[in-house]
Amino acid sequence: MSEVILKGLKKVYDNKVTAVHDVNLHIADKEFIVLVGPSGCGKSTTLRMVAGLEEISEGELYIDGKLCNDVEPKDRDIAMVFQSYALYPHMTVYENMAFALKLKKVPKDQIDKKVREVAQILDITQYLERRPKALSGGQRQRVAIGRAMVRDPKVFLMDEPLSNLDAKLRNQMRAEIIKLRQRINTTFMYVTHDQTEAMTLGDRIVIMKDGYVNQIGAPQDLFNKPVNLFVAGFIGMPVMNFFYNSKLLQEGGKYYAEIKGVKFELSEFQQKALSANGQKPCEIVAGIRPNYLSVGSGDLKAKIEVNEMMGAEVHLHANCQGDEVVMVIPTVGLKVDVSQGAEVSFNTKPELIQLFDKESGNNLIWYDEVSARENHPVSKCYKF
Amino acid sequence: MDNWQLYLLLLIPVIITVIYKYIPMYGIQIAFRDFKATRGYAGSEFVGLEWFERFFSAPTFGRMMKNTVLLSLYSLLWSFPIPIVLSLCINQLRFHRYKRVVQTVLYAPHFISTMVICGMIRIFLSPSGGLINLLLGSQVDFLTQSNAFRTIYIASGIWQDAGWGCIIYLATLSNIDTTLYEAAKVDGASVFQRIMNVDVPALLPMAILMFIMSAGSLMNVGFEKVWLLQTDLNKATSDVIAVYVYQQGIENAKYSYSTAVGLFNTAINLILLFIVNKISSKASDVDFI
Repeated sequence: MSEVILKGLKKVYDNKVTAVHDVNLHIADKEFIVLVGPSGCGKSTTLRMVAGLEEISEGELYIDGKLCNDVEPKDRDIAMVFQSYALYPHMTVYENMAFALKLKKVPKDQIDKKVREVAQILDITQYLERRPKALSGGQRQRVAIGRAMVRDPKVFLMDEPLSNLDAKLRNQMRAEIIKLRQRINTTFMYVTHDQTEAMTLGDRIVIMKDGYVNQIGAPQDLFNKPVNLFVAGFIGMPVMNFFYNSKLLQEGGKYYAEIKGVKFELSEFQQKALSANGQKPCEIVAGIRPNYLSVGSGDLKAKIEVNEMMGAEVHLHANCQGDEVVMVIPTVGLKVDVSQGAEVSFNTKPELIQLFDKESGNNLIWYDEVSARENHPVSKCYKF
Repeated sequence: MDNWQLYLLLLIPVIITVIYKYIPMYGIQIAFRDFKATRGYAGSEFVGLEWFERFFSAPTFGRMMKNTVLLSLYSLLWSFPIPIVLSLCINQLRFHRYKRVVQTVLYAPHFISTMVICGMIRIFLSPSGGLINLLLGSQVDFLTQSNAFRTIYIASGIWQDAGWGCIIYLATLSNIDTTLYEAAKVDGASVFQRIMNVDVPALLPMAILMFIMSAGSLMNVGFEKVWLLQTDLNKATSDVIAVYVYQQGIENAKYSYSTAVGLFNTAINLILLFIVNKISSKASDVDFI
């Protein structure tokens, strides 16, 4: 059992700046959790508090059931992979990997066995006698992971480990981490600012902004059930389209979303959820993912400003009465004129429309007040 | 000439170096001539290695060589590691204000002139009320004791320059990626182990460079300080080549002779520089020359 529990974790620096506000998180044994958010959102600080590299200002941290607030990093049974690899430049790959075990006074033959075993898993055996400067970025990252692996830690902490790699290598390493995770099967805490990494790696994702947790959930939940505008805009590529000055209407006992003067009768589920929440008609921001817009028919109109040909699909950047809209259209069977300056009609399915309160930015359907109040915001559950 | 401004800036130090370092080399020829100011450099009589022979056969040659080499060698052995240790200690200080105060206190003696330093040393070592004698409860006139001269010279040198010498090491330490310390912390390294496994290896190339540079001036014992601390009773250990050059060249106006002695000194330094560089490059893969 190596669960990690963060109870009201807070970080206040000496200059009174609060970097992390009251984070509550329960990471289950062998779970892969990803902390994601823009720069300065407090994700790395949270990870560093778990690692013991930052003092915890308030709250409690439990690793494997043990209160670890004042426990030295070496005694927390964790291993960390850093963004800059943090390999000792004067040591060989072998020495780098063996260093922690050497400090623990593990017998030499055991160190050798462990290092070679891990090197084989990571396919770096041929580099064991090299110094880090003689390795490529990807190889260095493998060594950094190997250094963490040899310790058999209860919790694996990774602070943006792929950020220094180029796009191709990043994709490759991401796949390797997924395989590695299946192989070593321990608890992972992974920090990234890249939502693709978060979506592909995490069992659950924690989205942070300005030191606050905005939503915790499975990748698909975050994509389909974002609790607020920030989460909706952060997850998904290209980002969700937002139609400002939209309205939620209620006519004849039914809810409608009015976007740019076009009325959409909401789906049965949406009707039930809004009714359950006692939702009154109001001004909203309507959110629709670029892939959920179909071009060629419909009452919504937009003028194409930029046309990005991506091969299998084309990304259209259009202007819809003052709001910028991005549409992702498959190129196969494309019959509509999508040249720059052309006007296109587009449509969507009502169940794919996300409804956000204009004032608070909270999702009218998925925002759960109880979990938000307790600082572990998750999407609301419905039992109809 | 895209970057002519940079070349223009470079021109200034180049001109200064040529004027003050290269043009005077023309005067080295007087080491091989019997220089007479009225005849000029080229017009003075060529005497070959006569001045060198005279220096090697001087009765004080052996003593001067021994004193110069020993004083330099001991200075190097004691003064070289202390700034490194000091910088490692200062680097561990976490309170920035305290760190700055410590650094300023350590740098300060460097800005005191040698003349004043020597005056202070004389006061500290005075047999009547000097600080050292008060601490030891003795009344010894240390400057009249030839066996105390090297210790006085080296210890005061450390006091004056160790703080200043550690600046370059502190700059090197400040460039170390802080995640290395964090990684070491997570790996379970103690403070001492972090110093030995992160700081010291990072300092090594700079330390070797500084060692080569120091070794290259092994024979250059500071003339002023020795001259100012020298007494008739400590000459057995304080008689060094630099003072001899000054005495012969300035006091006795033997320009050719003192130039020959100085040239000999420089040649030895150059040889030492290459030897040390060769040894250190073999030992550490770092080659600076």
